[in-house]
Amino acid sequence: MNQLNVGETVLQARNVHKTFGTKGNTQHVLKGIDLHVTRSEFVGIMGPSGSGKTTLLNVLATIDHTTDGTVLIDDEDISKLSNTALSTFRRNKLGFIFQDYNLLDTLTVKENILLPISLSKMSKRKAESKFTAIADVFDIRALAKKYPHELSGGQKQRTAAGRALIHQPSIVFADEPTGALDSKSASSLLDVMEKVNQQRGVTVVMVTHDPVASSYCSRVVFLRDGKIYSELYRGDKTRHAFFNEIMDVQAVLGGDNVDSF
Amino acid sequence: MLTVFELALRSMRQNVKHYYLYFFALNFSMSLYFVFTSLQHDQAVQNMTYPSVDFFAGFQIAGVMLIIIVGIFSISANGIFLRRRSREIGLYQLIGLSKGWVARYLIIENILIGLGALLAAIIFGALISRLFVLILLNLLDLEGIVEIGFSVPAALKTLMVYLLIIVITSIQMIWRLYRSTLIDLFQADKRPDLDKPPKAVTSAIFALLGLALIGYGYELSGHINKQLFVNALLMLGSIVAGTFLLFRITIRWCFYQFRKHKDGHLGLTNSLSVAPLMHHTKANANSLTLITLLSAMTITMISMAYSFYYSVEQETRRDLPYDFMFENERQEAQSFKKDLEKEGIDVKHHVVEAVLTMGTILNPNDESDKFEESLLWLPAEQLKQTGADINIPPDGEVILYNAGASLAGDLDEQSKRYPTKIELEQHGQTVMYTLRTLMERNIMNLDAPGNQLLVSEATMDEIAKEMAGTPDYKKIRFDTYQVPDKEELSKASSLYNAKYVSDDQLTYDFYTQYKEVLQTTGLLIFIAAFLGLVFLISTGSILYFKQMTEAEQEKQSFKTLRQLGFDVNMIMKGIIRKQAIVFLLPLTIGMLHSIFAIKAASFMIRSNTMFPASIAMTIYTVIYFVFALLTIRYYRNIVKTLCHNHHL
Repeated sequence: MNQLNVGETVLQARNVHKTFGTKGNTQHVLKGIDLHVTRSEFVGIMGPSGSGKTTLLNVLATIDHTTDGTVLIDDEDISKLSNTALSTFRRNKLGFIFQDYNLLDTLTVKENILLPISLSKMSKRKAESKFTAIADVFDIRALAKKYPHELSGGQKQRTAAGRALIHQPSIVFADEPTGALDSKSASSLLDVMEKVNQQRGVTVVMVTHDPVASSYCSRVVFLRDGKIYSELYRGDKTRHAFFNEIMDVQAVLGGDNVDSF
Repeated sequence: MLTVFELALRSMRQNVKHYYLYFFALNFSMSLYFVFTSLQHDQAVQNMTYPSVDFFAGFQIAGVMLIIIVGIFSISANGIFLRRRSREIGLYQLIGLSKGWVARYLIIENILIGLGALLAAIIFGALISRLFVLILLNLLDLEGIVEIGFSVPAALKTLMVYLLIIVITSIQMIWRLYRSTLIDLFQADKRPDLDKPPKAVTSAIFALLGLALIGYGYELSGHINKQLFVNALLMLGSIVAGTFLLFRITIRWCFYQFRKHKDGHLGLTNSLSVAPLMHHTKANANSLTLITLLSAMTITMISMAYSFYYSVEQETRRDLPYDFMFENERQEAQSFKKDLEKEGIDVKHHVVEAVLTMGTILNPNDESDKFEESLLWLPAEQLKQTGADINIPPDGEVILYNAGASLAGDLDEQSKRYPTKIELEQHGQTVMYTLRTLMERNIMNLDAPGNQLLVSEATMDEIAKEMAGTPDYKKIRFDTYQVPDKEELSKASSLYNAKYVSDDQLTYDFYTQYKEVLQTTGLLIFIAAFLGLVFLISTGSILYFKQMTEAEQEKQSFKTLRQLGFDVNMIMKGIIRKQAIVFLLPLTIGMLHSIFAIKAASFMIRSNTMFPASIAMTIYTVIYFVFALLTIRYYRNIVKTLCHNHHL
């Protein structure tokens, strides 16, 4: 996993469908999504409310099952995995960042970050060096002994990001990570995520409704009514130029009310 | 438009579902209160027992203890529920309802729940009182069926207790409501009371002080029967204070050191056990102290009561080795034997001829401790004929038998007197005999005169010859009877009591004495066992409620952990460790306390308390573990439902 094979497929979703509800009252949320994510991509998923972006993230991230279609992560078909195997898979290969941080209130920053590797047979020294490295990246080393209730939102989210990365997952899923942050904290988080993505080659899939946030991505996928509406690649464009492009697509899409103002 | 009343009714219906254990515990204790007060006012059972058995006082004390425990239980549970509902209470205020409205709402709900529980308790109590009477009669070894009617005074008393509880909990609610701000209410379950790291020196001192106080209390328990009252208070005080310090400082300090040592590498299991426990140190310290002390008290109470009940026969035998004894009443003894034979009762009759003299038992530790007393010299060979379990002492040597020795003071202290000498004055001459040792039982029934001394027949004959004619010298013929069959013994006893007992003379027969003590101790074990059960259910429920509330608060953590890829079993491992700490800590410490308390109280009982005490402790532990299992099951349901709902 430490080896970077840029261009190698990490995640592949084929014809993914998701329906909710029982017979006669079903809601078709995902209507055949195909998505291909290669190693060290930073993919943003955008779309208006109800377009299915969170559902897609949950399905990709093994938190929810697909109704139809397959999802492969590191060539493993996750719909074929048993519950136990899924747990192990999530623990080893996936990282999560949530909008409301989901830190454990009773644990310190360091304890929270070390949690994902708590069951691995890693030596304490190695774990310690991993922690130091990740804490330095997110600039939270001085906070190691603090509890979540003593932290600001930005500090909490950087802790959560540290926890998502400590075990060097194949792919990190982020669900509106900046949703609860002020713009300054949000951009500082996104700066670090971009850096981690570029320098360490960490693959990130991020759901967001914020065009600023998605302008940090290398690619943005737009959903509409459970289907992929369009995709934008950042390429060599500046973040500002990319942001403008994203805004244009959003305008066409109708976007979230908030963003169209 | 919902009225306050309807809203309260609706909320209550929901709460019943949630707090079934609370209702069960409250109902059980109040039903028991109703039964106890019913029995207290009931004449029928009272008339069946010996007059010496004080029914009224027994049930009255039990009733008071029940009120106390129900009070503690209600206040603790109410506090837990209020904290749990603080968000709801905050919401009412947020949408603009006044504190007065919320107070009214809570009180109406409280009264409705209380009335429901009262009705249930009285109905349930009336239904089970018959069962209780049967259990009681069985324990007292009484025959016959007793009808127990519905007791109006008992119902009224139960009503009073309920009103008291409602008033107290309502005051508690109002106090909480008016004292807390909105932000308190919304963050009640979020804000940890993680104190600042304990100052190393101060907490080390207090941590050790806690242990030292408990140690001192334990040490006192070894010799409590000297200056009983002062020592008992000191022991109680130091153990209570020590236990509080133990939970408040010592254990917290240990956790803190453990966590510091881990330096962030806590691991999943500790993250789910040690960390959340440290999160609520203050609240946990208080409730764990309370539960430890209640457990210790309950275990001691049940163990002692069971020890008394269990050893009745043994204890009575120590006092009365023979079923019947006649002292220098040859004719009556003969006629009693004939009466028994007429009834077809199989009886073993033996005659023991003893000598009573005056003499002095010297105290080697204190020369001035010297006074003459009656000495009853019993021939070992003749006693052996009756089947007594004794060894024949060598000629010239004496063994003192006294069943009440330990009641007179510390047995270890007394045994330092032996071996000693017995001085006999005969016609101006002094003769000495060696008193080898003291045995804590009688070799002749309690009502025989003088200190019971076992000697060989030859020695006794020698003393008889030497002492004949001295003042108070007397030859005594004892007619002893043993009836091996229990039922025949009961018949023989009534025969004896009908014909051979006169009011002006203190006589004891084994069976009558046995029955009387059995009934007193039977009443004791009946009360202790049910009180113990109530205590146990209350403490178990408080722990369960606390954990239930904590489980709700930790829900998000479990969800997060599931998403991070920890499966149910991994999470349950942490939860089980937490429950093990929460339940085992008070149980073990409480049990340790009670072992020393039993040791301290065991001077009241001559038989070994170990066996009955360990039975009582085992039963207590088993029931206690049911609560631990219930709690773990509750947690497992929460963790499992989480993954079910989220397809994890």
